[in-house]
Amino acid sequence: MGSDPQDRPGVRHELGVSVSGPEHSLSIQSLHVRYGRGEPVLSGASIALAPKEIVGLIGASGAGKSTLLRAVQRLVEPESGEILLDGVDLTKLARTELRDARRRLGMIFQEHALIERLSVMENVLTGTLGRTGFWQSARRRFAPEDVTEAFGLLDRVGLTGLEDSRCDELSGGQKQRVGIARALIQHPDVLLVDEPTASLDPATSVRIMTLITEICLERGLAALINLHDVPLARRFCPRIVGLKEGEVVFDGPASALDDEILRRVYGDDAVGAPAGHQGSPAGTEGSGGTDGENILGR
Amino acid sequence: MAAESDQQAQQWRPPRMIESATTRKLVLGGLALYGLLAFFTVEIDPTRIAEGLTRAAEFFGGWLRPDFVTRWTDIRAGLLESVAMTAVATVVALALSIPLGLGAARNLVPGPIYTASRAVLAVSRAFHEIIVAILFVAMFGFGPFAGVVTLIVGSVGFLGKLLAEAVEEVDPAPLEALTASGATWGSRVVFGVLPQVMPRMWGLALYRLDINFRESAVIGLVGAGGIGATLTTAFSRYEFESVSAILILIIGMVFVAEVISGRLRQRLL
Repeated sequence: MGSDPQDRPGVRHELGVSVSGPEHSLSIQSLHVRYGRGEPVLSGASIALAPKEIVGLIGASGAGKSTLLRAVQRLVEPESGEILLDGVDLTKLARTELRDARRRLGMIFQEHALIERLSVMENVLTGTLGRTGFWQSARRRFAPEDVTEAFGLLDRVGLTGLEDSRCDELSGGQKQRVGIARALIQHPDVLLVDEPTASLDPATSVRIMTLITEICLERGLAALINLHDVPLARRFCPRIVGLKEGEVVFDGPASALDDEILRRVYGDDAVGAPAGHQGSPAGTEGSGGTDGENILGR
Repeated sequence: MAAESDQQAQQWRPPRMIESATTRKLVLGGLALYGLLAFFTVEIDPTRIAEGLTRAAEFFGGWLRPDFVTRWTDIRAGLLESVAMTAVATVVALALSIPLGLGAARNLVPGPIYTASRAVLAVSRAFHEIIVAILFVAMFGFGPFAGVVTLIVGSVGFLGKLLAEAVEEVDPAPLEALTASGATWGSRVVFGVLPQVMPRMWGLALYRLDINFRESAVIGLVGAGGIGATLTTAFSRYEFESVSAILILIIGMVFVAEVISGRLRQRLL
């Protein structure tokens, strides 16, 4: 909690901090999802997260990355498959138990999904709604320990003193920090992170990813992180899962990602052509001036 | 570039609503003919127009000499009654329209509740205030109570429908985020929906306050109390000076309401 809230872009996932607490795992088994009667979006995707493991999920637009995270939360109901959180199948839970399970899965959203007209503090405290009574929350009488924790989290994510600012006054990076604090105050066992850097500039993207991965290490959280930016995924996620047309086509260490695998995940256009928009300076890991040859930024 | 300039200039016209020229001419000709025939079915009687003009002169003469004094007690009572009717009706209607508006939002409730709420809103908007007022005056007798009930019915339909539309347009992402953190339906509404629709809701309520005051003058004509009742009385006594005074006061009140609601809107939004 006491560490410097200003992120350092250079910090890597190897820089572990002390980890404690019980270990939680998430296992997604042959998940099938379709919207209405349309084409299936997920056709039997399986991913298992070991305790404390940070997994990056990559894939082209429409490959089913967001759907997969939303199906784990049952924001989309899966057609079939199992979602095991510490061995309990979430797909079988009734409403009340499901609410409790959702509380244990902290989610960080693409474009932050904050309530723009509410204050930073109110947005963070919405993370406690799973355990706060309706009338207490409606009258904004949150438990003092939750408020204390919220202040602590704001310090941790680098938003000290901004608790009364309205969220629509914040920058993109600040909003995502509020989203992170909101997810953490749920006391999640696993983090689901959906495109946390979408619409952020390269430097801010790196800061946000640094913050997320640091926090996972501090709290011993396993995390499944959707990323459209392959260099960013390689840099921050020790393990990468590649999704294509609703199926897992790669699952292995980030170091094993090569052109052949990228072709498998993204199709032939991903490799070989100059990919200027992909080779963002922040994501290239100092590989010299001629990067941008392919999607990896090498 | 040179090759492009050699190409023939292409013509383009926007696609017409009716493609066939014959059909188009038939439709337009038919409309014109009907318009002409319809115009002649309205009986135009020169003597009545002349009489009307004389009466108009009389009326505008009175309009130029507004008399606030002679009937002041009646006028004041009527105005105060209208203001009270407006305030009570708007507040009660707002309280009723919030649950109805939430219930009539497809993105918040299951089908049956949606249909039921929409039905209630549709019925309350089905008739013009005047017809509703006639009905309630027949039920409850002359006076402001019938008027207040009329205004409530009209306002609930108006506020509920527009509120439901605002709710259906909210950004779904924060709602999903609230669901994902284990929030109940009530908390999702309080934290996800209401903050997003609040500015619109206040705006609508203020606008409806305005409408209700003007409406209270109208429904008074059919016996539902308020300044409208005073106005009809003055009219039927041919006291055009008092009528003029009342109309000026109504304009003044609407203007004051406009200024106040403008100020409030600035502070609330």
